[in-house]
Amino acid sequence: MINRRNLLAGSAAVMAAATGGRLFSPAIAQAGPLRVGVLAPRSGVAGTAGECGLRAVQWAAERFNKDGGIAGRKVELVIEEETSPKDTIERYRRLILQEKVDCVQGLISTGVSLGIAPVAEEEEALFVMWDGTTQDGVKETMPDPRYVFRSTDNECEAVMASLLAVKHFKGQFKRIAGINPDYSYGRNNWEAFRQILARFGIEFEVVAEQWPKVGTMDLTSHVAALKAAKPDLIFSSLLFADLPVFMKQGSASSLFDGVKVVLPAAGWQLNQLKKDFMPEGVIFGHNTLYFAHPDASPLQKEFVADYMDRYKEAPHWEADRAYFALAAYKAGVEAAHQAKGGWPDLQDIIDAMPERKVESLGGEAWFRKDKIAEQMFYQGPSTNNNDYDFPTLASIDAYSSDKLQKGSGEDFWEWIKSAQLPS
Amino acid sequence: MASLIDIGLGGVFHAAIIFLVAAGLQLVFGVQKIINLACGSFYALGAYFGITAIAFANSMGMSPLLVLPALVLAGFIIGLVGIPIERVLRTVYRRDESFQLLLTFGLLLMFQDVFRFFWGPTPQTLNNAYLAYGTANIFGAQVPTYNLLVILASILIALGLGAILQRTRIGRIVRATAENRDMTEALGVDSKKVFAVVFTVGCMLGTIGGALVVPAGAASLEMAVELVVEAFAVVVIGGLGSMRGAVVGALIVGLIRAVAIIVFPEAEILSIYLVVIAVLILRPAGLFGKAAA
Repeated sequence: MINRRNLLAGSAAVMAAATGGRLFSPAIAQAGPLRVGVLAPRSGVAGTAGECGLRAVQWAAERFNKDGGIAGRKVELVIEEETSPKDTIERYRRLILQEKVDCVQGLISTGVSLGIAPVAEEEEALFVMWDGTTQDGVKETMPDPRYVFRSTDNECEAVMASLLAVKHFKGQFKRIAGINPDYSYGRNNWEAFRQILARFGIEFEVVAEQWPKVGTMDLTSHVAALKAAKPDLIFSSLLFADLPVFMKQGSASSLFDGVKVVLPAAGWQLNQLKKDFMPEGVIFGHNTLYFAHPDASPLQKEFVADYMDRYKEAPHWEADRAYFALAAYKAGVEAAHQAKGGWPDLQDIIDAMPERKVESLGGEAWFRKDKIAEQMFYQGPSTNNNDYDFPTLASIDAYSSDKLQKGSGEDFWEWIKSAQLPS
Repeated sequence: MASLIDIGLGGVFHAAIIFLVAAGLQLVFGVQKIINLACGSFYALGAYFGITAIAFANSMGMSPLLVLPALVLAGFIIGLVGIPIERVLRTVYRRDESFQLLLTFGLLLMFQDVFRFFWGPTPQTLNNAYLAYGTANIFGAQVPTYNLLVILASILIALGLGAILQRTRIGRIVRATAENRDMTEALGVDSKKVFAVVFTVGCMLGTIGGALVVPAGAASLEMAVELVVEAFAVVVIGGLGSMRGAVVGALIVGLIRAVAIIVFPEAEILSIYLVVIAVLILRPAGLFGKAAA
């Protein structure tokens, strides 16, 4: 006979058996597919980047599955959308608690990452970020997380673009102007640029600083303000659709005539940056994937060919970040599996992932001990002399991020004053 | 001098676009007493449809010089979507304002998914159209000719709208309906038809505005919400329901923004809302609005 008392006792027993002592333990069964949750924006300003990452992670999963999956288990992706921090945290919890995924990957917005990372630590669930960091501005908020693996620092591309501005434009500019997005990324990039110019002894005068908010589609007044300042060089870390709009409106107003241009994050929007309005010789940042690298690995060449054939556009760095996240997880699982001689538990996988080099689309990449990624970065002066309708690189500069980002626990502004920067 | 022209025209270009959306908002409120939060969606719809229309026209071999009239036509055609939407709004005409706000806000959110469904999440651009008319030299200032044409088109639309409202029979009927709907109905005016026409014209102003802006910018899912906020700043400054208010409010917003960007870029948004707050305190009905009895 079922009464209230034995129903409660029975429920407790079932719960205990099901959870094995840990309420929210991911279900690492040794058979069946390995379930990987993916959180990526599919709309909004970062929708383009999210879509590119999703295509790449699907390509990676298909590729790994053709070769037997990860340690013999097929990969199954469970995709959810990245939106606001609050809603994304709910979806993240759903992935680990309801979908019982073995690992969650993705995220582009640092704002969202900052919200999810503590939840991942609390839930003791592995999270591998594509482009998210746990930086508050440039300050690391989680110096030693256990379960959270993060992307390279946001400032890497600005540091590299600044170095290339010195390398390629030294002696050709004095009056500098900045137009950068009005949040910590834009402000830190602009400050990093100025600090690096100062470090290399470049004399400069800031003649204009513009801070349009993200999503501003009429930049004509900003363009007019920049023209009025008569700069020799314009530095812009504008992202999303804002950058093509700025370049188009600037070009139509002859803003770039005789002006050097530095665009550390241009590669994210390369398909929208058409030759019609792109001046040549721009320092053009491709971050961790330059799709047209002539010496690219067979892996990158195969991916780019498949991607361009299927989607009729070029992939950008989010593809590399997404591929790397899955490849790093695969390498960690397989190393732990081999070491244990059987299916590893989550802690074994987490211990196996750092400092394990993997081949990503853009080159060799790995996670440091503090679980921050190290990857290759690609930038260079642009050319319109190619078969595409957007610019490519006239020459390629490639730096490893271990030369572009602060070390574990360091303060970015202190690091930039004394770092051994490539020149 | 050249810099001043650059800055001034930048502000007027911005004003020209927000005027069209704000004018639609004013027209609808003036006659139907509905605060249409979905006006930003019509603007975005015009932008997206403009891209599709130009892509189609280009595939048919249209001359690049016809981009601007083609965009106006595209905005006009897609503005007809106002007819079925007005039918939906009829259900709340006599109800509390909060119902109207919720319904139009619902439309604003729904349209975002419509755009995503048809055009995807990626911002869409028209690549060559903006540069098709080249650059004009005005007293040493290099200004995109397209911007000048958009300003001209907005002026013509404002004048045409004013002429229709002031000098035609339909204009008199619309104004009379705005003043006293019950009285005009008693005199035999079919106010349902008037409302349908007014709402569709208001919708067209927004879609034409969106279509005109897209060569210079991009169509994105957020543009509807972005613009609706600015359009309401125009309405508050100019006075709810006033077409003259829409013109003056748009110019104030556009020019203040342009000057703030030069003088103190951090205050770009702040400067506009300082004016809004000042108007709300000193002249709550707006510069051209009628004070409530």
